[in-house]
Amino acid sequence: MAPLTPMKALGVAVSTAAVALGFAFAVAATLRQDAARVSHRQPTPERWFEPPTPTSPALVARGRALFLDSCAHCHGADARGDEGPDLHDAQVSDRYIANIIAHGIPHEMPAFARKHDAADIAALTAYVRSLDSP
Amino acid sequence: MDPTWWAKTHGATTHFPLALVLCSGVLDAAGFALAGRPAARDLHAAGYWTMLLGALGTVPAVLSGLWLTKGGVLGHGALRLHHLFVWPAFASIVALATWRRLVGRTAARPRFAGYLIGVGLAAGLVLAAGYWGGELAIAR
Repeated sequence: MAPLTPMKALGVAVSTAAVALGFAFAVAATLRQDAARVSHRQPTPERWFEPPTPTSPALVARGRALFLDSCAHCHGADARGDEGPDLHDAQVSDRYIANIIAHGIPHEMPAFARKHDAADIAALTAYVRSLDSP
Repeated sequence: MDPTWWAKTHGATTHFPLALVLCSGVLDAAGFALAGRPAARDLHAAGYWTMLLGALGTVPAVLSGLWLTKGGVLGHGALRLHHLFVWPAFASIVALATWRRLVGRTAARPRFAGYLIGVGLAAGLVLAAGYWGGELAIAR
């Protein structure tokens, strides 16, 4: 193939980059549609038989700081959901929330037991619980 | 399936285009600086192929990242910062590799100097994307 002039090649190069970005965003849109079909909310009746976990404003504030560091990039800075689900009014027990944070969800969410210790997970749980409607 | 499989795959695949594009820039810059000497031709040939391979390497890197985020192209926090650099980096690498493929291993010095500036900008974008990707992956 004979080389193109640099200016013609620049036009083709920019067009190719635009097509590549368009292809990537089309794949992304398809993946988002697939993800949206999966429900993340699974009510667990045990919540109603479990005593509420002790909490405090300081613990919630610490949980919020940890959340912004580790969770906000998927659940959104306001925990209203993005790639991950909205965490407000979670219909699950504190133990369930802590377990999900520690061990993750296969194919859905990474485990954080190696990144965060039990105190961190308790703070994160307190923060998620603080998102419930009063 | 290991739930961290896509994270591991993305971590593995991103380093090929990152390393190849940076190497391509260094090799071509050396060839540009040594213009007229015998080594310059070989340096430009190496720069040419590393850029083409680097651009090919962006495909699995981008696709594995999209699978990892379930199609998220922006996100929040460190992920948003990662993506703000990833997409311009991806587009610029594809454009640079296409230009290089069409023009050949080298071009007139002013044009090639412009190409090297483009590679430098793309390298900066790739490094910034890599930094924020590392912030996501490494526990602090």
